[in-house]
Amino acid sequence: MLKKLSLIMLLMISILNAEPFSKKATVEPVLVQDGAKKMWCSVCGMNLKMFYKTSYISGDKQYCSIRCLVADMANNPTKLEDIKVIDASTQKPIIAKDAFFVMGSDVKGTMSKVSKLAFATKDEAENFVKKHGGKITDFDTVLKEAKSSLKQDSAMVSMKKKKMMYPMGKKLLAKKCQSDKIDPNKFHAINELKSEIKNQNICADINEKQLQAVALYLWDVKREKPKSNTTENIKLTKKDKCPVCGMFVYKYPKWASQIVYKDGNRLSFDGVKDMMKFYFDRTQYGKFETLTPENIKEILVTDYYSQKTIDGKKAYYVIGSDVTGPMGNELIPFELESDAKTFMSDHHGKNIVSFDKITQKEVLKLDK
Amino acid sequence: MKNRINRYLIEFAINSILRAKGKNIFIFVLFTLLTTLLMSIFLITNSIKYELQTTVDALPQIIVQKLKAGRHYDIDNSVADEILTIAGVEQATPRVWGYYYFANAGVNFSIVGIDQYEEQYTKALSQVVEKFDFEKLHKEKSMIVGEGVQKVLTKNYYNDYFNFIKPDGNLKKIYLAGVFKGDTQLESNDIILMSKEDVREIFDMPKDKATDIVVKVANPKEIPTIASKIKLLYPDTRIITNNDLKVSYQNIFDYKSGVFLALFVVAIFTFFMIIYDKTSGLSSEEKREIGILKAVGWRVDDILKEKFYEAFIISFFAYLIGVLIAFWYVYILKAPILRDIFVGYSQLKTTFELPFVFDIQLLFLVFFLSVPIYLAATIIPSWRTATLDVDEVIR
Repeated sequence: MLKKLSLIMLLMISILNAEPFSKKATVEPVLVQDGAKKMWCSVCGMNLKMFYKTSYISGDKQYCSIRCLVADMANNPTKLEDIKVIDASTQKPIIAKDAFFVMGSDVKGTMSKVSKLAFATKDEAENFVKKHGGKITDFDTVLKEAKSSLKQDSAMVSMKKKKMMYPMGKKLLAKKCQSDKIDPNKFHAINELKSEIKNQNICADINEKQLQAVALYLWDVKREKPKSNTTENIKLTKKDKCPVCGMFVYKYPKWASQIVYKDGNRLSFDGVKDMMKFYFDRTQYGKFETLTPENIKEILVTDYYSQKTIDGKKAYYVIGSDVTGPMGNELIPFELESDAKTFMSDHHGKNIVSFDKITQKEVLKLDK
Repeated sequence: MKNRINRYLIEFAINSILRAKGKNIFIFVLFTLLTTLLMSIFLITNSIKYELQTTVDALPQIIVQKLKAGRHYDIDNSVADEILTIAGVEQATPRVWGYYYFANAGVNFSIVGIDQYEEQYTKALSQVVEKFDFEKLHKEKSMIVGEGVQKVLTKNYYNDYFNFIKPDGNLKKIYLAGVFKGDTQLESNDIILMSKEDVREIFDMPKDKATDIVVKVANPKEIPTIASKIKLLYPDTRIITNNDLKVSYQNIFDYKSGVFLALFVVAIFTFFMIIYDKTSGLSSEEKREIGILKAVGWRVDDILKEKFYEAFIISFFAYLIGVLIAFWYVYILKAPILRDIFVGYSQLKTTFELPFVFDIQLLFLVFFLSVPIYLAATIIPSWRTATLDVDEVIR
């Protein structure tokens, strides 16, 4: 008898442990936004039903997570006392100020590394901690945490969007949707755009994840006016020789850089170092009297990480790293300062300079 | 007049070859065998090198696997999002794939899940995605198979569908919608492609998990840095870079080409033995012939020209025929005996065929290894004899 009981107990415990925590609503979710857009978060466009247990209500807007709430705080000023959060166990909206929060449990955060779940009573929160771990705190601490990690969380989200969601959205839009029927500039928020796509049946036979990809692509990429001053790509022919060292540039596309002149002249270099040598003292390398720095239309360099052509005048350069190009020590170009910083710490760089801060002395020092 | 090829000299050379029929046929056969052997060795190594290179090139740059208790385990999809934030990473794609053992034929299929709206990690896959609509395939419960798989299935009377046995014992019937061909045999032979959802169902894999994660890095120079960063972020993972895989493939290949090198050395050594034998001196009959020609009034350069024609005709034809036999032996007969040296290589995958690679440099290499050496070996002793006084030679 005892054996049986203990067995049943064991079974129950294992069932309890095996049941994973889902953020999806299991009851009819409370959605406060009006119209068809109420299904989605107004900041990131994610489905509120799927992330119901981490969602927040502030004024007439509902957010999928505290990250989006914090990100939208400037546009949607509400008193902190009025912000409501969904109770993770009863799944009803409660006043966030009075709730007990469990931070850092084994449940994954929504758009953030650390999850923050709210409970109406302390008992519920403690029960949850027993199962999933974490620490019990109040709303102020959670808000502070969310604000301080906002930058990092946003970086992660934007990377994912840029590298995965936009290409996916672009392909989907081309294959499944009538892209001429929708103009993303007409909408105020991404959830309005999403409801329009869904209700007007603009994309045939599309699931929630794909809808999100299309909406993100339309909202973040298409909505912004196409930039007129996008840099052209570096084009190399087999004949292009670096005027400084005489090497063929097409063999080293990873390091290629170019100066484009207003008169149509185009000089290729196998590295930023040689380009800068030429830039500072062009007469040393041949009859280039007419190619003055004033005549330069554009300077093109290759981003070390992404291998894409970027504007050399706006790039950041790392000097003194342990990465060498075809001509030895190099100035390594980056589009983003954050990338340059990461690279500098990874490869023992000495410092980061912008284009106008590069000096001839420093360039020549690289060859020593 | 001076530089023209003298037809009479050529005629004389051919007649001279025919006069010593037995000896010349022997040389011709030996020479042919030698070029065949040399050429076959080079062709096989070249083909395998090509196969190896294309296989290695198609490999993902970094593979991230989760290890649990020292074994490969399903990895969280969210790991890919985190990896994307590392500077220099262009793409991180969770893969859903696995081996399916088909007991009737005793072979393993690799089932690979495809989401056509993701960026594909190999060229072959992106070509397949352009050709087939995997969402449609999912709805129609169909799959795309590699050529080897198709052969195995037809042999077992699965002509239009296959029943996969799911972990719970139920069957999943999937129809055959097409055959796909990769760049290399190694890559495509045992592969089945279907939608990720279907693969998850067959292997009973939860939605938020993946088999492993492949990472694409825009600048190959950064692969080691990024690999070590992932390792720091996730200490419970095994990071395999394409360089690691390359090294292990290369090791097997290098071992095998060592055997080939031994064969090659023996062949070359035999060849030089024959050459040495020839250069060490002409037979007294040949000496007498040269002496008589001189006595009749031939100039030294006429004699050398005639000898050159003679040697060139034999060696060049032997070379041509040797090369043709080598091509026939390697690519039509599939190199029956020499290929067995590579039995160890085929352990990687069950079958592989030698892809046809034509490299003009190889032809030149074998040509210069054989023909000029033989020419020199004929002309130098003739010249030595021809410069002697006639009476000294004939006496």
